Amino acid sequence: MVGFLQQVVEGLGAGAIYASLALALVLIYQFTGIVNFAQGELAMFSAYIAWQFTAAGLPFWPALVLTLAVSFAGGMLIERVVIRPVEGAPELTVVIVTVGLFIFVNAAAGWIWSFLIKDFPNPFPGGALEAGGLSVGYSTLGVMAVVAVVMGLLYLLFQRTKVGLGMRAVAANPTSARLVGIRVGWTLALGWGLAATVGAVSGVLVAPLLFLEPNMMGGVLIYAFAAATLGGFDSPGGAVVGGLVVGVAETLAGAYVDVIGSDLKVGVPLIIILCILLLRPQGLFGRAAVERA
Amino acid sequence: MSGDAFLAVEGLHAGYGDARVLHGVDLTVGRGEICAILGPNGAGKTTLLRALSGMIRVRGDVRLDGTGLARRSPDALARQGVAHVPEGRGTFMPLTVEENLRLGAFVRRGRGAVGADLDRVCAYFPVLRTRLKQVAGSLSGGEQQMLAIGRALMLRPRLLLLDEPSLGLAPLVTEELFRIVRAVNEEERTTVVVVEQNAHLALGVAQQAHVLESGRIVLSGSAERIRADEQVARSYLGYRV
Repeated sequence: MVGFLQQVVEGLGAGAIYASLALALVLIYQFTGIVNFAQGELAMFSAYIAWQFTAAGLPFWPALVLTLAVSFAGGMLIERVVIRPVEGAPELTVVIVTVGLFIFVNAAAGWIWSFLIKDFPNPFPGGALEAGGLSVGYSTLGVMAVVAVVMGLLYLLFQRTKVGLGMRAVAANPTSARLVGIRVGWTLALGWGLAATVGAVSGVLVAPLLFLEPNMMGGVLIYAFAAATLGGFDSPGGAVVGGLVVGVAETLAGAYVDVIGSDLKVGVPLIIILCILLLRPQGLFGRAAVERA
Repeated sequence: MSGDAFLAVEGLHAGYGDARVLHGVDLTVGRGEICAILGPNGAGKTTLLRALSGMIRVRGDVRLDGTGLARRSPDALARQGVAHVPEGRGTFMPLTVEENLRLGAFVRRGRGAVGADLDRVCAYFPVLRTRLKQVAGSLSGGEQQMLAIGRALMLRPRLLLLDEPSLGLAPLVTEELFRIVRAVNEEERTTVVVVEQNAHLALGVAQQAHVLESGRIVLSGSAERIRADEQVARSYLGYRV
């Protein structure tokens, strides 16, 4: 039993990271209806920026704050320069653009920092918290705490501020939002900036667990897609729940299903995606697209 | 006449892509007046309102109290005090009624004044007060139309554009809406341009009326005169006087 709980806790730790990247995906989808395939690569690029700051001698936490600021600005810039011209274009066009962005960002990181793996400083102490036979690594706790803080801040932004109200209005009805005086273009850019920031958190958290290299987010992106599909692409809360569920499911399957083991773990999110699309395409917390006849 | 007009439109052309809908519309509306735009389906009534609120590109001149408004974006026009209640009501469905109303005041500063206006709007539409925390998508059609007008009033508009407030509503609800529009106009001197299929109702509250046909104004005058015009009655109002 303790062993099982131990696996669940490990799963929640991994799930928190998937949740933050899934949240980034959902943020952009809500505002623009775009599924941003480059979200993971942007997170990876942010992790490199953080690494660069620490390599220049900055302590981790100031480096993180700076990285988040740079990521926010970068996300807005990408929306203005790359996405704006294809806004309203057919879905396939937009998908191709984000795939192109994926390849570009991946190559740019390799070109700037090389494809050799780098050691990323772990901001959390080694050791583990022992309680009732469970042993939870401080780094797992730290990851969960950071993700919880980010979720909390986002919730406050959306529910308690005027900017957040404007953003929800744009997501709900862009035409009407424009008529009440909201600058919709800037709001979309703001959405991309926020998504890049939330994604950066996942990149910076994942980097010490894996190794920092340009392809490190590929797997995480698949888990994040599973999480967003599970929770519903239009539900930020759903994305978080989805991330945690996917993390736990992946860990448990790896530990208890012999056929899967650690090698086939990556198949788990794909099975989740498939099942959800077959059984409940809108996800657990998403709204089904209904149109009145 | 055009010297003291609050809203002056001259030679307004507009359309969608290659499809031209308005072919040089001229009209004026006096300060604090209600002006009805009548006409058959497809005459360009909705397009005219969209042109006035910046939703579509236009050629020609639009002046509000002397300030040129043509070719500005809808959000810039909202900041100029133009509130548009669009076709389909433009409700923010997943948001609460209160959030919908507060969004109407998005470009205004000052929490206190906005809170006071929330009360003021709820005084016009008491049913909204009982639904403030409810999700707007759960309102009935009539309530959503009230919410749409309420949202527009939250801007404290200098010019209120109403697109077919009666569409899809029961006659009693529609009459109530027009009564409230009249009350708002009288108490706050808000200038109103209302597009309406139900000419009888619109002429009941308007001082001025224009008849639009195929993208041109074919007849203008006081509401009384338009109502008395037998030809108009037959062609557009659907009844004989």
